[in-house]
Amino acid sequence: MSTTIKTIARTAVSALALCIGFGGVAKAADIVLQWQATALSEAQYEPIWKAAVAAFEAKHPGVKIEPVLVPRKDNWTKFVTSAQAGIAPCLVSVPVPTAAFNGYLMAMDDLWAKEPDSYKAIWSTEALGAGRFEGKLYGMPHYAGIYGEIYNADMVKAAGLDPENPPKTWAEYLDWSKKLNTPEHNALALLAGPTETTTRVLLSWIYSNGGKPFNDDFTESRFSTDPRTVEAIKFYLGLETEHKLTSPGSAALNYAEQTVLFAQGKIASMRNAYWGLAKVLGDNPAMKGKIMVTVPPANSPAAKTVATVTTTSISANCKNPQEAWDFIKFLNEPDYAVQMVSAANWMPLRNDLLNVPEVANDKVVQAFLAMGANAVTIPLPTPAWTQISSKDIVEAVQRILQEPARIDAILADLDKTVTDHLQDK
Amino acid sequence: MTHHPQTRAWRGIGLRRERWHGYYFLGPSIVLILALIAIPLGHAVVTSLYRVRGLRSDFVGLDNYVRLFTRSEFWDSLQVSILFTAVCVFFHMALGLGLALLLNRLAFARTAVRIGFLAPWIVAPSIGALIWVWMLDPQFGVVNHLLVSAGILSEGKAWLADPTLALVSVMVVDIWRGTPFVMLLLLAGLQGIPKDQYEAARMDGATAWQELRYVTLPNLRYLLVVASTLDIIYTIRHFDIIAVMTGGGPTGATEVLPVLIYNTAFSQNAFGRASAVGIMLLGIILIFSMAYLKLTKPGKARED
Repeated sequence: MSTTIKTIARTAVSALALCIGFGGVAKAADIVLQWQATALSEAQYEPIWKAAVAAFEAKHPGVKIEPVLVPRKDNWTKFVTSAQAGIAPCLVSVPVPTAAFNGYLMAMDDLWAKEPDSYKAIWSTEALGAGRFEGKLYGMPHYAGIYGEIYNADMVKAAGLDPENPPKTWAEYLDWSKKLNTPEHNALALLAGPTETTTRVLLSWIYSNGGKPFNDDFTESRFSTDPRTVEAIKFYLGLETEHKLTSPGSAALNYAEQTVLFAQGKIASMRNAYWGLAKVLGDNPAMKGKIMVTVPPANSPAAKTVATVTTTSISANCKNPQEAWDFIKFLNEPDYAVQMVSAANWMPLRNDLLNVPEVANDKVVQAFLAMGANAVTIPLPTPAWTQISSKDIVEAVQRILQEPARIDAILADLDKTVTDHLQDK
Repeated sequence: MTHHPQTRAWRGIGLRRERWHGYYFLGPSIVLILALIAIPLGHAVVTSLYRVRGLRSDFVGLDNYVRLFTRSEFWDSLQVSILFTAVCVFFHMALGLGLALLLNRLAFARTAVRIGFLAPWIVAPSIGALIWVWMLDPQFGVVNHLLVSAGILSEGKAWLADPTLALVSVMVVDIWRGTPFVMLLLLAGLQGIPKDQYEAARMDGATAWQELRYVTLPNLRYLLVVASTLDIIYTIRHFDIIAVMTGGGPTGATEVLPVLIYNTAFSQNAFGRASAVGIMLLGIILIFSMAYLKLTKPGKARED
């Protein structure tokens, strides 16, 4: 046997021995649960989750939580890429209908079934509904965001408007917006950037008019055929195309840009969830005490707002589902949930927290919770949600802003596209 | 003749063993090419024959390709790709040649100026694109501030929110980024032109323009063709700058084929369709790659 072949053989045997050795060592190591969520990058949430992780690891020796930080717009891409490779983080926060439909999530019904009735009772059907797909539980509710209308109180007063009497109708809102639009700042930012937030805000306007952009079982899109929906879209987008009340560059504006503009005093108002306030105050602490929160103006007695529920799910490839479930429960414990309300402005979803002093005595939280009692929950229960919310509807909004005269034709095209996607074509 | 009874008859065994040594040296490269190119490519071809929804897939044959050719999405994206590539390559070559001619004439601080011009190429594309996003911000960006202050614009533009301006913006950034590479190539070519040709031209009374036309460009002809072919191959594959700056929007105005692949795969959850677009893009690139290989065949430069 030549020297070369002997050398290769010896190297291969050594490598094999090393692998076996490492494998043995790895088995004795901790269970590591990767946790991916966009919220981990939020400055106001960081101390809370770090404390929760440390406490959980102290209580569960042998289990380590490894956070995976990801920018908001890359969360889905990163998750899908890893899920396709079978190495998705055990714990993820992604839209449940789309992720479950694609087989990326593990059903948690068995884990849920083992819980005592006292634990199950603290979660409302509506809250759990956000984590269900085709009857199975794929995500436990973590927190919610309820969309309200937020104003810069100083700008309201400077415009000669009464902060105690905010707009309740669209006509009043338009009047306020015209007065709040000055050479120094615009009235609002119209979101048309390529993220789901664009769709959330648009839907909040549609629902505030009693619109129904989808049929009941989400197999048909009615953006162009439901009169109330068309009216709402024309009014909302008309704030830019007709009345010129919005900050420039709508097609590039998302949640982050909107909150920055508000924090920097470039816009007088924003349609945002309560968590937007925490970000604004983080960016500009001088705004503390200068922010007004009101119910979004309505144009119909059947008006609703939008509530988005963020869930924490277990990936289909997770090898330690019980430990992952234990961490999900731990994150939702009252201590951390209350801190999330105070520091990160996330709406609590546990029934037993509503009477906790930090929640009960906070007027702003109570105002948002009252709004949330009459809200449509996002994501909508369709597997096509990710696609229609971050691409189809966004593109239609962008096209309408470019060609407002063609709004009816654009909405008709949108219906065709969205209906195909809802029907999985 | 002296007889050496200990010497074995030569059978060419040594040569065959040396040939195997050649394969041993090639081995790692072959493994790398298989692992990084051939296997993923084969997987993409197979995937393009399936309708993939997440972890579920159904064999659909050529349906993905039929859908590709019968919907406007692919053709719109191809149009954007062709326009983007044509404009960017033209300016890469024109500006690259101009800068190379300039640098070739510099008598002082040549190295420092070269490094300065190379800076856009040294910066990671996504980082450079992100910086440009900030600079082009309609409210806070320095570009609007400078243009309005200089009186060129009466008010700031939403560079990345208007379809036409967004396409122009990403082209400008790509030209900014891609020109140094062409400049480097052509500078090397310029420095290889024999100086006596210029001396002879001057003795014949040639002007600077005539020197460029009758001496410089003919000597650079082969390199210009090679550089432009390579540049087309690089530019048509570009993803990072556009993905960071616009994501293909607004309204698909900047959605070149690589961005269409990404959006189809991740926004639409349609990996099969995305793979089909990828295979089509591969076909386009292969055409230019074959042209490049033909141009750079040994002896081709001497023929020209």
